[in-house]
Order: sequence, then C-alpha cells, then structure tokens
Amino acid sequence: MSRTWVFVSVVVGAFVSCVSPSRAQVNIPIFGPNLRSYPVAVSPLRNLSQGTPSDVGTRFADIVSRDLTIAGYFKVIDRAAYIEKPEASGYTAEASAEGGIPPINFDSWSVIGALALVKGAYTVEGDNVSVEVRLFDVFQRKLLYGRKYRGPATEIRRMANKFADEIMKQFTGERGPFDSRLAFVSTRDSARNGRLSEIYVTSVDEGDLKQLTMGQTVAKSPSWNPDNRSLLYTSFKRHNPDLFSIDLLGGRETLISQRPGLNLGGKWSPDGSLIALTVEDNGNSDIVLLDRTGKLVRRLTDNWAIDVSSSWSPDGRQIAFCSNRGGTPQIYVMSADGGAARRVTFTGNNNTAPAWSPKGDVIAYVSRLDGGFNLFTVKVDGSDVHQLTQGAGDNEDPSWAPDGRYIVFTSSRSGRKKLFVTDAAGASQVQLTHGGGDDTSPAWSRWLE
Amino acid sequence: MGKRLLNVIVAGLLVAAVGAGCSSKKKGAETGAAAGAGGIDETGLGTAGSMDRAKHGLAPGEGGPLTDIHYAFDSAELDESARTTLRDDGNWLKDHPQAKVEIEGHCDERGTVEFNLALGAKRASAAKDYLVALGVAADRLTTISYGEELPICQEHTEECWQKNRRAHFVVLGE
Repeated sequence: MSRTWVFVSVVVGAFVSCVSPSRAQVNIPIFGPNLRSYPVAVSPLRNLSQGTPSDVGTRFADIVSRDLTIAGYFKVIDRAAYIEKPEASGYTAEASAEGGIPPINFDSWSVIGALALVKGAYTVEGDNVSVEVRLFDVFQRKLLYGRKYRGPATEIRRMANKFADEIMKQFTGERGPFDSRLAFVSTRDSARNGRLSEIYVTSVDEGDLKQLTMGQTVAKSPSWNPDNRSLLYTSFKRHNPDLFSIDLLGGRETLISQRPGLNLGGKWSPDGSLIALTVEDNGNSDIVLLDRTGKLVRRLTDNWAIDVSSSWSPDGRQIAFCSNRGGTPQIYVMSADGGAARRVTFTGNNNTAPAWSPKGDVIAYVSRLDGGFNLFTVKVDGSDVHQLTQGAGDNEDPSWAPDGRYIVFTSSRSGRKKLFVTDAAGASQVQLTHGGGDDTSPAWSRWLE
Repeated sequence: MGKRLLNVIVAGLLVAAVGAGCSSKKKGAETGAAAGAGGIDETGLGTAGSMDRAKHGLAPGEGGPLTDIHYAFDSAELDESARTTLRDDGNWLKDHPQAKVEIEGHCDERGTVEFNLALGAKRASAAKDYLVALGVAADRLTTISYGEELPICQEHTEECWQKNRRAHFVVLGE
C-alpha cells in the first residue's frame, strides 16, 4: 500500500476569521470524577459526489465516535436520535455559497442534548477522497475547529483518528492518542488448544486488526521501534526464546539476539540506538544493552536475582525494571549508564511490569494484592501510589499511550484475556479487543507522524 | 506402576525413532517427532517436548520416563519431594547413559509473562544443577523456559496452578 498520500490540512481561513479565535471555549476538567459524559453528536459526513455511493462518511463518523468513547470524557449520542440527515442538511454554521446547502440547524442538535457536534462532507475522486470536517459548539452555534484532509480512501481511518485527536486538543488542551497503533500477542488463531501465539497489530479502534507473524510457535513481548516501522519481539521458532525485529510493511524479520536461553523483553531506547534486553546465564536473568545489530554494549545488572521487564524513561537516561533482588518482585530504577539501582515500590510484595509514562513523572506497574493483579501508578521518586483497577479480574501488562494520559492493558474481567484502555486516573475503562483466544502484552506506538 | 512401565516402553520406542533422525540437541525433539510421526499415534508423542505437542494440538506432556517436579509459587527452590523425585530421575539417567534430557521450566498463569519466563529458566536450571550434583554429566542436560506459555491445565484454581509450576523432562535421542 502506497504511503505517498499527502494531507492538505487547511484550517480554512474564510470561516475561522468570522469567529473569535479563542480556543478551548469549553474546557473539561480532565480528572474530575463526575465530568465524564460531555454529550457530543458525530454525524456521518455528507457525500458531495452525487452518483458515487460511498460509505466513507459513515466510516469516518464511526471511527471518530469510537475514539471519543474510548477517551472516556465524552458521551457520543446515539445516531438513531439525530434529526438532521447528512444527505439533506448542511455542515457549516453559515449557508454555503454554492449548491444551496443550508446551514446547520443547531436547534435540532441541542434538542437531543448535544453540546458539541461533528459535521462535514467529502468528495470521492477516483481512489482518493477529500474530506472537510468541523467541530461546533452547539449552544453558541459556532465553529470551534475545522480541518481538510485529502488522500486515498484507504486512509480514512488515519484522517478520522487525527480529527479525534484534534477534538481532544480542543477540549483538553492536549492532543489525543488515537493516530497510533497497538501491537499485541494473541492466541485467537491458535488451533484447538490455544497455546500458540502470534503478534497482531491494530488501530486503537480495532478496525484494521491484522496478524503480523506466522511463526506457528509462541511469540512474546512486542515493542515498537520509535520510528513505528518495526517491532521487536521474542519467538520460540528456533527452539529458544530469541529476539527478532519484524518490519510492519512486508513482514521481513531480522534475528537480533540468539543468546542461549532468554532473549526477552527487548525495548528500543527512545532515540532508537540501543536495545535493553533480558538475557540469561544458566538460569540467571540479567538486563543488558545491545546495539542495533545485537552486539553487547553494556551489562546493566549482575546479580543472582531475576531482573526483567525494562522500560526506558522518555529522556533515555534511565531504565525501570522488575527485580526480586530484595526477596520479592519489586520495581527498581537505574541509570542507562549502569550503576546502582534504586527501589521505587514499597507497597505490596509482588510488583512487576513497569511502564514509564511518556510524561516522565510516573511509572505504571502491576501489583498483586489479595490474590488479584491490578494496575498501579507511582511517582518516579516512589511517592504517591495510585490504584487504577479494582475488583475486575486480573489486570496486567500496562503500556502508555503517546499522550501519556491513557494506558492499554490486559484484563481478564470479561472472561478471556482482552485488551482494555484506562485513563491515567483509572476512572474510565473501555474494552478494546474482542473475539476468541487471549489477547495480551499490548504495546502502544508513538504518534504515526 | 503399569502406566509407568508403558511410558518407559513407549519412551524407549520413541527414543529409538528420534535417535535415528537427529544429532543436534537444539533440533532433537522437533525432527525426532517429525521423523517418528508417520506411524505414531498420540501415545507415541508422549515424551515429545511441550512445544512439539502444542504444535500438534496436544496439551503439554506430563511425566514420561522422568517424573515432573513441582515448585512453590514464585520460587525456584527444590523442596524435599522435588529432591526425592530428582534422585529417582538421576538414577534413571545413570541407567540410560546414552539418553539426553531437555529440562523445561514452567510457571502458573499468574504474574507477568516476562517474570515467569525468567522464573521458568531458574526452575529448569535448579533441576539441572541438582542432577549434575548427583553425578549426571552436564552435557547431557539442556534447559528451556516456557514460563506460563504451555500450561498443562488452564483452570484458575490453586490445584491447576500447582500442576503448572513444574520442571518437565524431555528425553532426547543420543
């Protein structure tokens, strides 16, 4: 699939200048526990290409609706309640100069309870599509934000995710995380006994979920190259847990480390120059740094204990990891140059799977308390422990969204293990993946551009 | 007891079939199982490695000529029962000086996948070290960890978890 589409992103000056330029007219307090249902209507886009039937407008609205639902702050009003139909209504606050398209009837949106409205139109041009879409404040009847996109029709998902990220920026001041991808491990296609697993990749709205590896063995721990073009993962296909890199486009694989025993939990440094990896010496696991070719650069831990699960700080200077050197599994932090490790978790006797937030201030991890596994966050200095999940199955494998406000994780709360998303306060939790088998070990990529 | 004898006989047949087809210790279990798979039924795969069994749609093996040993949660320590079993396993190995063994380390489903892979490695290594201390030549023993990936049972009960916290011994050809 060609990636040569170009976004023509134009906040159209003509209609923005008619509106006072102040941004974020509405500001939702992000972590307020009660303000999680800001009602927004997302209308399917109007098809301006008469005679070319297309589902682009509906798909765009579906994806934006799904993203806003996952975001947790919005309540997307059910489309069945919408009075205005896209093919017979306008998509601007003022009447359109051409074609006699009326302005939006804001009354018909406020009457169904919408405080914000997404409306727009598109034109099909062969394999490409031109989309213009706008976000309105219904009560004030005015435009908050508008954008144009143009590209292959196959890229509708990216356009919709980018627009959802912009909606979030309008309401919260920070860009949303949806123009990104998730990699994860699943047994969904494993025959009968369901023990073999492969790596899958999907957009956050699950719409383009695809199998990436075909090893027909056990695959573990995918993690993203910061350029989003490849994944590191561990595979048993050569009868040893070896570290591979696999290209997303084309699926070409490179064997990075085949040290006897474990080659586990490979993680690229933020600048893409080093790989942190757990290796083994006769049963004893330790964390080392490799260069891009898999050559040893530095050993970081050297003790009898289990040392696993590296997670880089966003500035690439430190690594959080899990070790039971103190007797029980706990989270530690050490310099990427080597040297002493500092313990960070002191509550509970089983703390694993650290994930360093892209914002740098907080580490998410998994703690076993009262027999169940739950997600927690702790500040890097060890203070301020917060519990994010409770009383809902086992919750493991945290991975942060690129905006540092959401965490994807594995939960068994609905039966088989599935991926869920929570916000960083634990207030809003949404199931992301569905279907058979167990979905585990999610990794959230950076923004796609 | 009868079952154990049957397992030994079957294992002997499989070892012979496997021994015909492989020399590399890494590929031993796989090519052996493939070579013997032509006429071998499920019983014949009884002592193939857990990964091979998984590829054939079978649950991982339990026992064989060498009995599994079990571990406490989050631990790679050998308790008295494990040491007793290992002494028996060691004796079998001394009686079959041509046999090589791949020791698999396994965990129950709880906890991080990575921690469990590391713990499985420790468990397999602990069993190997003890067998070596008993006089089995180290070059007859290899280890591999499967962490929580290849459980015998999948229920969320302590009874099942206990079964999964194990070292499993796969007898390979000469």
